[in-house]
Amino acid sequence: MKNILITLAMAVAACAVAFGVSYRMCCEQELHRAASEGDAMTWLRTEFHLNEAQFAAVKKLHSDYGMMCGEHCAAIMAAKKRNAPPAEILALEKTCVEAMTAHFKSVAGLMPPAEGERYLAVVMPRVDGYGHTGAPNVQMKP
Amino acid sequence: MNNHETNESLSRVLEGWRVEPKRDPGFRAGVWARIEVERRVPSWPGYVRTHVALAAGLMAVALVGGGWIGREQARARAGADRAAIAENYVRALDARTMRMP
Repeated sequence: MKNILITLAMAVAACAVAFGVSYRMCCEQELHRAASEGDAMTWLRTEFHLNEAQFAAVKKLHSDYGMMCGEHCAAIMAAKKRNAPPAEILALEKTCVEAMTAHFKSVAGLMPPAEGERYLAVVMPRVDGYGHTGAPNVQMKP
Repeated sequence: MNNHETNESLSRVLEGWRVEPKRDPGFRAGVWARIEVERRVPSWPGYVRTHVALAAGLMAVALVGGGWIGREQARARAGADRAAIAENYVRALDARTMRMP
């Protein structure tokens, strides 16, 4: 009985060690850190295997788009504040979506072709499905 | 009754006290039987040597099972991280979802 219990204990220990090693090996630490810190740029670099030049170009593109995005945001907010006609708000939002789509395509164009396609497959489905009420936790860092 | 008298009476009682255990003819055999039982239980390495297939199978199942669960857990976490960061990334670039300070 004692030997059976020792054998079972050894098996449980082996199971725990295998779990730990496997988890560590398969765990994408950088992705997890980027997700917990909201570091989208690190995510882009690692997820889509960008080299330094591609990463610098993508960062610049995001930085430039950030200003445009802020202007769109301000225009939408101003229209909502003054109770502009729905058609006007919709037009502003359409402009926003078009600019965003163009931006994502530009970013994809800076990536290796296969990675660019994968990038678009990740981001594009997330564009259309939003409600327009605001994002509670925007933590993206430049 | 003083201490001297107490000690004397205690001494008398002790003098008269005799332990007379009943003779157990099976005592020696019983001791050896118990020793033999203990001797026959193998040590753990000995137990493993005599149950190699069972022990090896158990270890293999434990290692494969632990490794598989670890991999699945890591994948699930990576998937959740990926979805969360992609969601935040797109939202951060969507003027419709922004709020002015």
